[in-house]
Amino acid sequence: MKLRTRAAGATRALCLLAVLTTVGLLPWLSGRDPALAVLRARSAEQEPTEEALDSVRQDLGLDAGPLSLLRNWASDLLHGDLGTSWVSGTDVLPSVTAGLQVSLGLMGAAFAVAVLLACALVAPVLVRGRGSAGAWAAMAAALPEFLLATLALLVCGVWLGWLPTSGWQGPEYMVLPALALGVPAGGLLGRLVADALPAVLDERWVELWRGAGVGRRTISAAALKRVLPPLVPQFGMVAVGLTGGAVAVETVFAVPGIGRTALGAAKSQDLPLLQGSVLSLLLLGLVAGAAAALVRRRLLGPALRDAGLSLPPVRPVRTHPVIPLTLLTVLTVTIGWGLLRDPYTVDTAARLAAPSWSHPLGTDGLGRDVLARLGHGAAPTVGTAAAVCLLSLLVALALGFLPGVAAGAADIANALPPVIVGILVAAAAGPGTGGAALAVALISWPPLAAHAAALVQEVRASSFLTAQRAIGASPSWILTRHVLPSVAAPVARHALLRLPGIALALASLGFLGLGAQPPAPEWGLLLDESRAYVERAPWAALAPAVALALLAGLAVSGAAYAQGRRNIGRGTKKRVTKRVTKRVTKEKEALVEV
Amino acid sequence: MPRLLEVRDLVVRYGPVTAVDRVSFSLEAGETLALNGPSGCGKSSTALAVLQLRRPDGGEVGFEGRELTTLTERELRPLRPRMQPVFQDPYGSLSPRHRIRDAVAEPLKVQGRWNAETGPARVAELLDRVGLDPSYGDRHPHELSGGQCQRAGIARALASEPRLLVLDEPVSALDPSVRAGVLNLLADLQDELGLGYLFICHDRAVVRHFADRVIEMRDGRISSSQLRRSPGAAPR
Repeated sequence: MKLRTRAAGATRALCLLAVLTTVGLLPWLSGRDPALAVLRARSAEQEPTEEALDSVRQDLGLDAGPLSLLRNWASDLLHGDLGTSWVSGTDVLPSVTAGLQVSLGLMGAAFAVAVLLACALVAPVLVRGRGSAGAWAAMAAALPEFLLATLALLVCGVWLGWLPTSGWQGPEYMVLPALALGVPAGGLLGRLVADALPAVLDERWVELWRGAGVGRRTISAAALKRVLPPLVPQFGMVAVGLTGGAVAVETVFAVPGIGRTALGAAKSQDLPLLQGSVLSLLLLGLVAGAAAALVRRRLLGPALRDAGLSLPPVRPVRTHPVIPLTLLTVLTVTIGWGLLRDPYTVDTAARLAAPSWSHPLGTDGLGRDVLARLGHGAAPTVGTAAAVCLLSLLVALALGFLPGVAAGAADIANALPPVIVGILVAAAAGPGTGGAALAVALISWPPLAAHAAALVQEVRASSFLTAQRAIGASPSWILTRHVLPSVAAPVARHALLRLPGIALALASLGFLGLGAQPPAPEWGLLLDESRAYVERAPWAALAPAVALALLAGLAVSGAAYAQGRRNIGRGTKKRVTKRVTKRVTKEKEALVEV
Repeated sequence: MPRLLEVRDLVVRYGPVTAVDRVSFSLEAGETLALNGPSGCGKSSTALAVLQLRRPDGGEVGFEGRELTTLTERELRPLRPRMQPVFQDPYGSLSPRHRIRDAVAEPLKVQGRWNAETGPARVAELLDRVGLDPSYGDRHPHELSGGQCQRAGIARALASEPRLLVLDEPVSALDPSVRAGVLNLLADLQDELGLGYLFICHDRAVVRHFADRVIEMRDGRISSSQLRRSPGAAPR
């Protein structure tokens, strides 16, 4: 156990170091010669001669190799120098702090929204003493920020005209971004607390306090205090989600925050600015995580240990298989219909046409059929998502046998939002489907690895493995014939159910221009393209938005169904064992009587 | 001729707890030695340590004249087939994912004795030998009754052509009506093949009928040792 903790700590430190090194080495990793870009940006009239380029390279320190680059970057960083922007030639630090200020304001507002929503979800459970946050909270938690932002922009900003939709000039500009950023976080927070509360309110002490005449308010406060400590680490995850979501939301609403700065820097290959802004985003996430750990210790008090406050795990949303199946059918039929149509034919006469018989979902800005693009966009998205699933499955299976290593690496992977990994990969390798897939694969394996590790432990403890050793089977025989087959199949099913969520993450990268490139009809990209003419042709934006929302629903209900089945499976096994043991004891007793 | 099994001062510890404390006994081919005692007295730990499935923390285990405790896992592997366990839980000792046929064939394959032509016949013969119709080979463990499953487990143990069977409460999980059948099967096999049995049991009635010698264990130590009946064909 101690060894495992140590392995986890070592891997955690190693992974963090790897991430930092990646950030530091970005100029070298990107492989493309930035000298030309820098030269152009600095003086437009200078000829790109070999001499001029060499002097720029020397100036940037690119010719000295990766190690000295890293050393320089790290030592500058320690002196508070983030370098000079390649594009504007100004210091990076002021841009980063300015962006950070805006983003912190936005995240504060989003956090307020999240807390309000969480309270609204928790209050009924606290009053009634039972129930759960329900499917709506799960759905709110699963909706990606970029989708919510686009929908909020469409409905409140454009159709109703209530609020400004772009810029950052006053408090009213903050409302929509804060809502888009805060609702998923609030859904997750509220769900975590609301689902853990009933078990706590069922505990004996509540009855005792009630009997002793303690007021309802005091009991509620105590119950909340009892629920929170084990959930606080999850709150750290919410903060991480906020930093990732900020990139999308700031981009949609043109908020000059750190997320938008990072994305812009990645797209213009302004690597020093990108390093600075990604570093500050990572720092935000890490500080939030550390703060969460501090709050947890404070709540627990010095005398209490984790084991003293064990709580039942978060109850999964109960779902009937009909829900995911219905969503799947609707999506499949739409996609199938779209696949029969042509997604690339440009018909300028029919630009931005409303839905009609010839174009069931209307046309886009180039007169292309939206239904066809939706259908043809699904195939590569699903294909890529399947590849990512397979990759994370393989990683999970490999790490399932090394639970210590897996735990440490999972901590870091969980602390990185897909968007930021996507930005890093895109900056190093250029935006593209492959890079987006790699980015999502890098961080989508932890839940699978945890599942695999649990199964490996279960199989290793079973007595038929002892029987295997007894017949003289070698470890490799036991591994390939017995352990892997019992672990791989259930983890593969689990991976399959995560496919919609992975497709969603890929779409969010596509939306930000970090994934598939035009004219590919990728769903995130479709949504992004349609934003330009959203006032004139809202259906062109609504179609991919609804498709993505259905995908989110599929992700939630599919995962809930899988979780439910797993719990049921475990339950039956326990019951059978109990029955057998009971029978054995009964027989023992009978024999004693004889 | 060396003794089949010679155990001297065996010690098994779990952390600070000494489960088996300097236990010594010996066993001849064709003989049944019962280890009897209440739950938690160290019987099963002794069995696992004898089989080297859990390496003992002290003492010696001599098997057919070879000292096992000093061997590495790799050196031990070719010797393992000659001493086979039969566990208490008839379902737990067979992989739930494999057919009975495959479970019985597996020792042959692992030990490199599988032959595509004669193998299936050998499996059928083994199933028949333990009183199972070879057609049961197509089934999975959960499709068999506890007694049938335990017979399959015995067939699997016999496939390794062992000299010693370590029977860890082999009939405790079975219905009383099935118990006698399995015990009779074990007695027949012993007469026929001259196997040595280390029989772990907490049930005195069963011990009285089945064992040649009985060792009583209590709190990890041998509390008494007695002869139940004259040892069978085993030479002294």
